[in-house]
Amino acid sequence: MPDNMSISVNGQSQVPPGFRFHPTEEELLQYYLRKKVSYEKIDLDVIRDVDLNKLEPWDIQEKCKIGTTPQNDWYFFSHKDKKYPTGTRTNRATAAGFWKATGRDKVIYSNGKRIGMRKTLVFYKGRAPHGQKSDWIMHEYRLDDNTTNDTNLVSNMIGDGGQEEGWVVCRIFKKKNHLKTLDSPSGEGRRSHHLYDTCDEGALEQILQQMGRGCKEENYEANYNNNYGRFARPFESTLNNNGGYNNERFMKLPNLESPKSTSMENNENNNDGYHAIIQVDMANENEGSFSDHHHHHHHNNMVNNPLEASSSSMVIACGDGGLTNWVALDRLVASQLNGQTEASRQLACFTDPTMGYCTNDQDLQLPTLKSSSSTSSLSTHARTTTSTTTTTATAYISPSHDYASEIDLWNFARSTSSLLSSSEPLCHVSNTSV
Amino acid sequence: MVDNNNNNVNLPPGFRFYPTDEELVVHFLHRKASLLPCHPDVIPDLDLYPFDPWQLQGRALEEGNQWYYYSRRTQNRMTNNGYWMPMGMEEQVVTSSSNKRVGMKKYYVFHIGEAPNGNQTNWIMQEYRLSDSASSSTRSSSKRKSQPKSWVICRVYERDEDDQDGDGTELSCLDEVFLSLDDLDEVSLPN
Repeated sequence: MPDNMSISVNGQSQVPPGFRFHPTEEELLQYYLRKKVSYEKIDLDVIRDVDLNKLEPWDIQEKCKIGTTPQNDWYFFSHKDKKYPTGTRTNRATAAGFWKATGRDKVIYSNGKRIGMRKTLVFYKGRAPHGQKSDWIMHEYRLDDNTTNDTNLVSNMIGDGGQEEGWVVCRIFKKKNHLKTLDSPSGEGRRSHHLYDTCDEGALEQILQQMGRGCKEENYEANYNNNYGRFARPFESTLNNNGGYNNERFMKLPNLESPKSTSMENNENNNDGYHAIIQVDMANENEGSFSDHHHHHHHNNMVNNPLEASSSSMVIACGDGGLTNWVALDRLVASQLNGQTEASRQLACFTDPTMGYCTNDQDLQLPTLKSSSSTSSLSTHARTTTSTTTTTATAYISPSHDYASEIDLWNFARSTSSLLSSSEPLCHVSNTSV
Repeated sequence: MVDNNNNNVNLPPGFRFYPTDEELVVHFLHRKASLLPCHPDVIPDLDLYPFDPWQLQGRALEEGNQWYYYSRRTQNRMTNNGYWMPMGMEEQVVTSSSNKRVGMKKYYVFHIGEAPNGNQTNWIMQEYRLSDSASSSTRSSSKRKSQPKSWVICRVYERDEDDQDGDGTELSCLDEVFLSLDDLDEVSLPN
């Protein structure tokens, strides 16, 4: 019985039932590809040569059949040629589409020793860059004879620099839909279930969440600065009116590079910013004359303001219009804020300082404290500059319309954040600043 | 990890026993039940021996960390140290050509200890049997008496939760993420 069990792939006899060509990556590289590159005879012609530019995936599927048993993947040798005589990229375009590399190459080990690399490619129908992604995946294995050093490897992760020529052994298969494989009536039951088990929602979800969090933080950061900028504005405006700053000075502000605005998510920097404001505040309160400190504080605020461009234009408007009282300023601020409502609402989930940004109570203190301190310092200086009285510890008692503007600001913040559940921290802040 | 000599089958490197459900039922189970010779005769007959799953090494046909053997249908699949507990519904095994039902597939999970208080393990068994119509049509009434319990094929494996990339025959989770990231190529991602 075993005597007539020999198979001839391209002849008449077949692979015995239940058996499939299912080589390990090690077998592909160490046995088949190694024999191929050294022109050794391979007993059975199970892996054929394929010109990747001439055959579409579905043609390869036909050409690389082994026996008549159903297959899920197909193997072939391919000779990689340079795309252009001078370039290093491989041409993997076919008549109907092209193969595009994805991810990064994976090192293949055998007994702890590196033997090769695996590149993953996806078939796109159409022409780059407007191809339509298909379910066809290719794993391209190349030998790695330890002649390349690690720095070469890093450069290989993008593009094909280095091993742009020579024989590779490839495997193509159709990407499985996880749901489909689960109840697939026939076929690799164990493998599909196995895949489903190991690649469970949890792992993937975690990665995606991680990615999402990165984006969230970034968005939040921008918006946080945005909020901060709002509070800084009334102060700048009043300074412009009464402090003798000319417009040109503000016009230059966009050139100021703000170290804070790019690293707000860093707690250390956050702390620094917070302390800086408090220190200037204290200085103002302790000294009767504060003309110098105006400059300091002003710069401090501006440095922390990432919206230099918009605030400076607003300041110009204030200066030209001869804006002299808080009521007018409130209106201006309100109109500015209304204009931003749409944009802010879209990012509503990021406007709440407690969302995604503060993970525990300690962190929670930072942005709230900072907001309240900046608003109160604003009212302090706004009051002192308009009334030009001496500063005392009671400087926090502000005119009522000053309050109104502040409450408007908070209401705005609250209205956007109310799209989410937690508006508690904001209430807390408005209470403390009163 | 796997020897390439599947009993008496002499195949070049890379060939493995990876039967489809249909092949298991149509080629191996059907022939066994019909007392026809199996080519190749690679799956051993363990009948109702109460082997624990880890005792299958060297007794059942091993391929790719899966063990295959013939057994018989039984209500309580007890072993020396535990029992196989049925899991979920039976699935149909159909032919790829005509979508005709040829068999049924049932899942079990191994529990150590005494039923029903055993501890669940990661050992899974798929039990293949001929569908009732298929088995009755192939058997004469006289044979049915001599075969009180019908044959099944058991495929046993241990679910491996740490194996993230498998044997490279599928896309890893990371590959999938990269694939989905390719869709966002035009969008500039934050660094």
